[in-house]
Amino acid sequence: MKVLELKNLTRRFGDFVAVDNVSLAIEEGEIFGFLGTNGAGKSTTINMISGLLRQSKGDIKLLDKEINKNKKFAKSNIGMVPQDIAIYEDLTAHENVQFFAGLYGLRGSELKNRVDEALQFVGLTSRAKDYPKNFSGGMKRRLNIACAIAHRPKLIIMDEPTVGIDPQSRNYILNSVHKLNEMGCTIIYTSHYMEEVEEICSRIAIIDHGKIIAEGTKEQLKAIITDTKDIWIGVHSPESLNISTLKAINGVNEVQVDEDVVKINSRADVNNLNRIIQYFINSGIEIRSIDEQAPNLDTVFLTLTGRTLRD
Amino acid sequence: MKDVLWLVQNMLRILFKSKKSVLLTLGLPIVGIIISLLMYGGTGTTNLHVGIVNHDSSRITTDTIKFINGLSHVDTKTVSPRTAKDEVAEGTLDCVITFDKGFTKSVESGIPDHIQIASIKGATVTGFVKSYLNNYLENIASFSKVANGHIDTYNQLYKTYQQSHFKVKTGTLKDTSKNKEMTYQTIGYLMMFMLYSAINLSGMITREKEGRTYFRLLSTPINSRKYVLANILTNLCVMILQIIIVIVVMTNVFHIHVSVPYWEIFVTLLLFALIAIGLSLAVVAFASSTSSMGAIENLIVAPTSMLSGCFFPIDVMPETIKKIAHFLPQSWLLDTINKLQEGQHFTGLYLNVLILLAFALAFFLIAAYKFSRNNQVSTFL
Ligand SMILES: Nc1ncnc2c1ncn2[C@@H]1O[C@H](COP(=O)(O)OP(=O)(O)OP(=O)(O)O)[C@@H](O)[C@H]1O
Ligand SMILES: [Mg+2]
Repeated sequence: MKVLELKNLTRRFGDFVAVDNVSLAIEEGEIFGFLGTNGAGKSTTINMISGLLRQSKGDIKLLDKEINKNKKFAKSNIGMVPQDIAIYEDLTAHENVQFFAGLYGLRGSELKNRVDEALQFVGLTSRAKDYPKNFSGGMKRRLNIACAIAHRPKLIIMDEPTVGIDPQSRNYILNSVHKLNEMGCTIIYTSHYMEEVEEICSRIAIIDHGKIIAEGTKEQLKAIITDTKDIWIGVHSPESLNISTLKAINGVNEVQVDEDVVKINSRADVNNLNRIIQYFINSGIEIRSIDEQAPNLDTVFLTLTGRTLRD
Repeated sequence: MKDVLWLVQNMLRILFKSKKSVLLTLGLPIVGIIISLLMYGGTGTTNLHVGIVNHDSSRITTDTIKFINGLSHVDTKTVSPRTAKDEVAEGTLDCVITFDKGFTKSVESGIPDHIQIASIKGATVTGFVKSYLNNYLENIASFSKVANGHIDTYNQLYKTYQQSHFKVKTGTLKDTSKNKEMTYQTIGYLMMFMLYSAINLSGMITREKEGRTYFRLLSTPINSRKYVLANILTNLCVMILQIIIVIVVMTNVFHIHVSVPYWEIFVTLLLFALIAIGLSLAVVAFASSTSSMGAIENLIVAPTSMLSGCFFPIDVMPETIKKIAHFLPQSWLLDTINKLQEGQHFTGLYLNVLILLAFALAFFLIAAYKFSRNNQVSTFL
């Protein structure tokens, strides 16, 4: 079942197009990652999904219902973890979660149980009676999450939930994302941290200048740029290497010598490793190591956008 | 509606968790009472000026006038029937007692009559004099019944009474005019503090926008209309509390006599509460941040309060400023209170009530218009 479906979603601010014709579908049970540099349009997209911002054009369907026609339904099925921490400094952790959960109509013992459960989930049970002013950045982020999950939404949207926090809190948060997912929640996750997205997301969309420029599983994304491969060969004395002979081998595009390493870029669909090795043996150059470089998401991102994620 | 009440509950909780807010909302109005007490209460009580119009010169009238003059904090002066009215109107006299022809006879015959008390300041002024006077006259009248026509017996009784009653006569005058001024000024200060606390509470909207919780709230099933409604209701609760506290503390702790039924003061101040909320919402709608809100607040609250006579009576101001005051809601409220204190009935003050309601409505409309414009340009950063 599709939890969320975006069709030609567009948002303008004056002449500036922040989100440009974004279309995608997210299935139940997915952890869907949004990757993009600063100002790519991630938060704007998310704000439209959560009903905070009207789209200039396009449709948003949550559980097959158009959200602007079913506002209450949509809002009660979404748990929003905003990029900017939104909690009340004057209320205790417990009161914060209780207040937000109450807005979704929970009352009485059910409310109490859900609040305790949410605090437990983010590991703040022992600090429930404390005020967030005394919390670390990571604890505030965790409280921010607890406020969004107590009403057990179908779709949880996390906008950079791990910005600026210690590794311990980050692991805690990543684990809880996994746990929430195992409990049946569908999750949208945006981040600047490639390794996070690579670790937890089942599907990823790369968004740049408001447009989705690539979308798919990690493997599919990598496959986009794997029409070439890099072979790194460590040698003893590269002085006698004849680059033009090496380049003449079928499929080889580029050869660079970097100290003791000969870096060969080759077409991926030509099986030429044997002939390359043969060349080294024939030339009497001693091979010490052979590495085939697998492409990672960083290279994917770099290739597609011309920038690294944290430019 | 359930979710609105949930919001109200939370707003009250946040408000009363902060000691500063508690002090601002509940402490300051009481400070207003104390300031008023210091302004009017410190110098002891003033005298009640009673004018006497005497059409019935006789021993009994002379003694009665002596009796009135002998009451503590009362002095009398003889006035002509023609000037009496003017002097009361100007305020040089608090009330006028007229002894008509036949007064002495009526007393001697046992049924006192042909005496009138007139005042424009209402029942509390005359009530004090009246109660003593009635008591006095009834005693004298009773002698004639006891004497049963014996002139000597009557004279004897009368003489004894005249000598003794000066000894037993006591009574501290409840100083009504001063009490009124204190009430008036206390309400003046209360209004200013109501404005401050209303803006402080509506400012929660601005603070929540800056603190991002406002947008977080809008991602829950709450919409902005419900949110503003909850803010208004919270504000109303707080101001009702303020009004009640001031009335209770003023009358029960400081024993200031308001001389207007409590409910009339309450309803009048409730009208002002609506004005304060409307104004504070307008301020919030125009202010883009908490700091600009503070600036607007400083520009509006204290100056208008001063110009309307919330700090000291407006009579001391020059004419031009008095004219400006007509455009300020506080002066209309003080005017209403004044008229109520003069003994006018609430129902007769519909013009004042209408003007006050119009102020409230105008502020609400301005706020609503500005809010809707803000939404159109969608400030979201
Ligand atoms: N209310 C607004 N008015 C004008 N421009 C806006 C507004 N909100 C966002 N933008 C612009 O839209 C673009 C996308 O912003 P958005 O916040 O969606 O980026 P993002 O991908 O979430 O970035 P980050 O990683 O920094 O959070 C930015 O260039 C931003 O300046
Ligand atoms: Mg963002």
